[in-house]
Amino acid sequence: MAVTVYIPTPFRRATNNRDRIEVAAPSVQRLLDELEGSYTGLRGLVRNESGEVHHHINIYVNSEAIESLDGLGTPLKDGDEVSIIPALAGGGR
Amino acid sequence: MILTATELAAVQRHAVEEYPRESCGVIVARDGERALLRCRNVQDDLHARDPERYPRDARTAYYIDPADLLRIGRLEADGYTIAVIYHSHVDAGAYFSETDRRQALVGDEPAYPAASYVVTSVVQGRVEAMAAFRWDPHRRDFAAVDLGLPSSETSLR
Repeated sequence: MAVTVYIPTPFRRATNNRDRIEVAAPSVQRLLDELEGSYTGLRGLVRNESGEVHHHINIYVNSEAIESLDGLGTPLKDGDEVSIIPALAGGGR
Repeated sequence: MILTATELAAVQRHAVEEYPRESCGVIVARDGERALLRCRNVQDDLHARDPERYPRDARTAYYIDPADLLRIGRLEADGYTIAVIYHSHVDAGAYFSETDRRQALVGDEPAYPAASYVVTSVVQGRVEAMAAFRWDPHRRDFAAVDLGLPSSETSLR
C-alpha cells in the first residue's frame, strides 16, 4: 500500500532534493516513522522529541488537515496524497 | 527584475486594502510564466484562539492560511517555484524584521533560498516605501537587494 508524500521546498535538503516520495504506511504516524527512518535529516523538522507535530507544521491527507481527521492516527489507503506544509509567517516587529 | 510593474501595483494595492492588517502573498514562476497569489493572513484567528502562543495580531504579524500554503505546495509540485514572498508592515518601515528573518529560516538554512522577500511599508493607509531581501549565501544572512523601482517610484507617497 503506497501513498505519495509531498515534500516542501524547505525540507528537500533532507530528502536529497526529492519533492515526492512513495511510502507504504497504514497511518500518518507510521508514515512519518518511515520517512524519518529513511531520511534522518527530517528528524526534528516535522515532529518534536515527544513525537508531536510542531505547531508550525500542517499535514494534509489529500485536502484534509489531519486535525480534522484522526490526527497522527489518521489511516492511509493506497493512492492517498500526504502533504507536509510548514508555516509561512513573519511580522513587522 | 523582482517584480513586474503589474505585480508591483498589485502588491501595493493588496497592502493598502488590508491596512491596518498585514497583507501577505506569493508570486510563483514556471518557464517565464508568473502568477501572483494573494493569501489570507490568519494571524488574527490564531491570536484569538491562543494568545499565549500567538501574542501578536495581524497588525504586527502575518501567518499565511495553511489552505493557501497547500495550494502553493501543489503548484510547486507542478513545477512552479516561489519567486517572491511578500507582506506589508503596518505603520512601520520596509525592513526585514528579526521576526521575518527567524521565520524565513529552517534551522540555520533559508526555507526558500531562491525567493525574494518583498516588504511594503504602509503608513496611515498609504504606501510609504518598499524593499526586497534575499538570502546571501556568502554572508549566510538575508541582505537587501535592489527592488528595481524606477526613480519616480522610490518615493511612493
